[in-house]
Amino acid sequence: MKLFAQHGYAEGNKIIEGLTAEFIDGVVFSPKDIKPDRLLERIQEVQDASSRAEVFFDPQIYAAMITNDPRAKIGNLEEYNIYFSPLTKNRLEIEKNVISVLRKTVTFETELGVSTILAPNILISRSFDSREATISNTFIRLAKDVTAKVNEDLPVYATLAVSRDTLTNPLELQEFLNDITSVDSPPDGFYLIVSARNSETRLDIFNSDVIAGWLLLNYTLKVNGFKVINGYSDILTPFLGAVGGDAGSTGWWSNLRTFSMERFLPTLTGGRQPIPRYLCNSLLNRIRFDEYQSWKEFVPEIRNGIETDNFYEDEPERSKEVLQSWEAIKTLCNSLVRRNVTSSLRLCEDAIENAVEYYSRIQSTGLRPDPKSNDEHLEPLNEGIRSFRRIAEL
Amino acid sequence: MVPYTPTREEILAIVPHYTDLGVPKRGGFKIFYPATRSGGSREALKLAYLPPFLDVDERYRVDLREEIKKRVEREIDLLGKATSPYIVKLGLLRPTPISIQGHEFIAYSEELLDGPDLQSLIQSGSRPSEDELLLAAECLVKAVKDLWFNLGTVHRDIKPLNVIKTDIVDRPFVLLDLGIAFSIYETALTVDPSQRFPPPGTTRYLAPEMLRPDFRDSLDYRSDLYTIGVTLYEYACGQHPLARDRDDMLLTLSRIAKEIPKPIEVHRADLSIKITTIINQLLKKLPALRGNIKTIEQALEL
Repeated sequence: MKLFAQHGYAEGNKIIEGLTAEFIDGVVFSPKDIKPDRLLERIQEVQDASSRAEVFFDPQIYAAMITNDPRAKIGNLEEYNIYFSPLTKNRLEIEKNVISVLRKTVTFETELGVSTILAPNILISRSFDSREATISNTFIRLAKDVTAKVNEDLPVYATLAVSRDTLTNPLELQEFLNDITSVDSPPDGFYLIVSARNSETRLDIFNSDVIAGWLLLNYTLKVNGFKVINGYSDILTPFLGAVGGDAGSTGWWSNLRTFSMERFLPTLTGGRQPIPRYLCNSLLNRIRFDEYQSWKEFVPEIRNGIETDNFYEDEPERSKEVLQSWEAIKTLCNSLVRRNVTSSLRLCEDAIENAVEYYSRIQSTGLRPDPKSNDEHLEPLNEGIRSFRRIAEL
Repeated sequence: MVPYTPTREEILAIVPHYTDLGVPKRGGFKIFYPATRSGGSREALKLAYLPPFLDVDERYRVDLREEIKKRVEREIDLLGKATSPYIVKLGLLRPTPISIQGHEFIAYSEELLDGPDLQSLIQSGSRPSEDELLLAAECLVKAVKDLWFNLGTVHRDIKPLNVIKTDIVDRPFVLLDLGIAFSIYETALTVDPSQRFPPPGTTRYLAPEMLRPDFRDSLDYRSDLYTIGVTLYEYACGQHPLARDRDDMLLTLSRIAKEIPKPIEVHRADLSIKITTIINQLLKKLPALRGNIKTIEQALEL
């Protein structure tokens, strides 16, 4: 399973370092966070750093729907007016307008020299039984044909961006899956994004229905022969890979690990830098570096035993945190993802069971995890897998 | 449903060009006779019974006569257009209205395929080899592909009785009976499913999504993939994946909607993972989980 850098603000040299160390396999660029002229240079630098690097460009058309909000903060997207402009649902209910957005965006991406087109789409914010879902379906249905007219050799992945709320209605999700897996001219793959209300709210995504739905999306699309790339999947990446996902992505800020439309609105929190965290594979969670340093004395198994552990002997440099995340997730993918879905799921369930045991040992020492470091993600994860198994009859 | 089965003599006296008729078989509103034409060629002569004018099924307020006439017309039209060798072909007798002993029929013919249907084979206790199962899967999937991608049609009644195993090298399994086929391009001919229960088709061979009152809104060929799965399962092991002989209709429908069948390898441990994976996948409740023609063809290495 592949892992990509989810590009964002203040990239520095992180992506090049991740590629050079072979922790990541490519990058999904965010136009909000890079100027158009710099983008071309950066793509070249990435390709120079690693000839095997896969380069994607997420056109972020879903953000075009909130540009009429006076608070909208779309960064450099304003400079991508060759394809990016404000959109409304009313306009996109007319098919020729969808075709126009697709054509402009795909043409732009083709000129970037990417190896695969990520076709644009809007976000389905509430329900699969909605105008937004109909529009999203239209983008998916037309992506392949419009791309073929621009460049018939390039594979195209349709974007499917959904809010976590949409996944809490399994019947609507199943109907939607029936629809998008039967389009006449299907795309070659999908770029999936699941949106939380807020990037900081862990339990928005770590909810059993949301996890079951995200797993079902990956599994169903794979059964139907599509490539599946997950955006902002962070530590869920190996679980999505276990059911067929081809790749996941994550980045260095919390809003690059969990997607939220708040990314396109002003931040409400203060400017204090978060405490660096260690992505602990055996706990399936990020813990504060100081927690890592004290807990590993009592429960040595929480140490991943990988190269980037060395950064955490003292407080790590902030730029190194994402390298540790990438290497840890890559390692976890290697240990949990097998060709056979049932075997992979069993490994995932074992990993959760072990994590419960490690947390129990930590708590028995009297140590109290910080709220983001505790074990409240494990039960929804476990229940999400169980629920997915029921729906997928596995 | 057919109140009277015409004798061979009665038919030969009225339908030209046939010299001999075999023992009739009845099914639904049709009777079919193995027949020999005057040149010696063999055909299946079919009589579709037309109920009297204004014979309305009061449960649904449907004019059955009109419905049957249109169904026969559609079936003949589809058979004429289908190009797959794995779908039965039309015979020489074009639809001809006939009346025998006051009963009205439409007579037409299809090619007569020598060989048993899969239901007879299942009942005889014969169990196919893996190669034979793969071949059956290939023929049925290709038949469904032709129906859907060329004709926009869902067969809706694939079952062991409607599949003939032949000795023809390039047509080893052939699909019959498009009598209740559903066309996405034409008006529905069977009763509005929200008014009818159970929906059209053979109860034991209904796809789960067919049990929804609004199934026509999203019906596609994946319902046929499900019934191919049921047919292959039953052919492979002699047992329907869900229905049991002593079950009543409601219990069968409930099993179709909710129960997960035992994997085929439980009954046929000798089969490879290749064919068991295909059969098990085709039986999934959610159409999207059954895969599509392309992925199934890949799995079958076609």
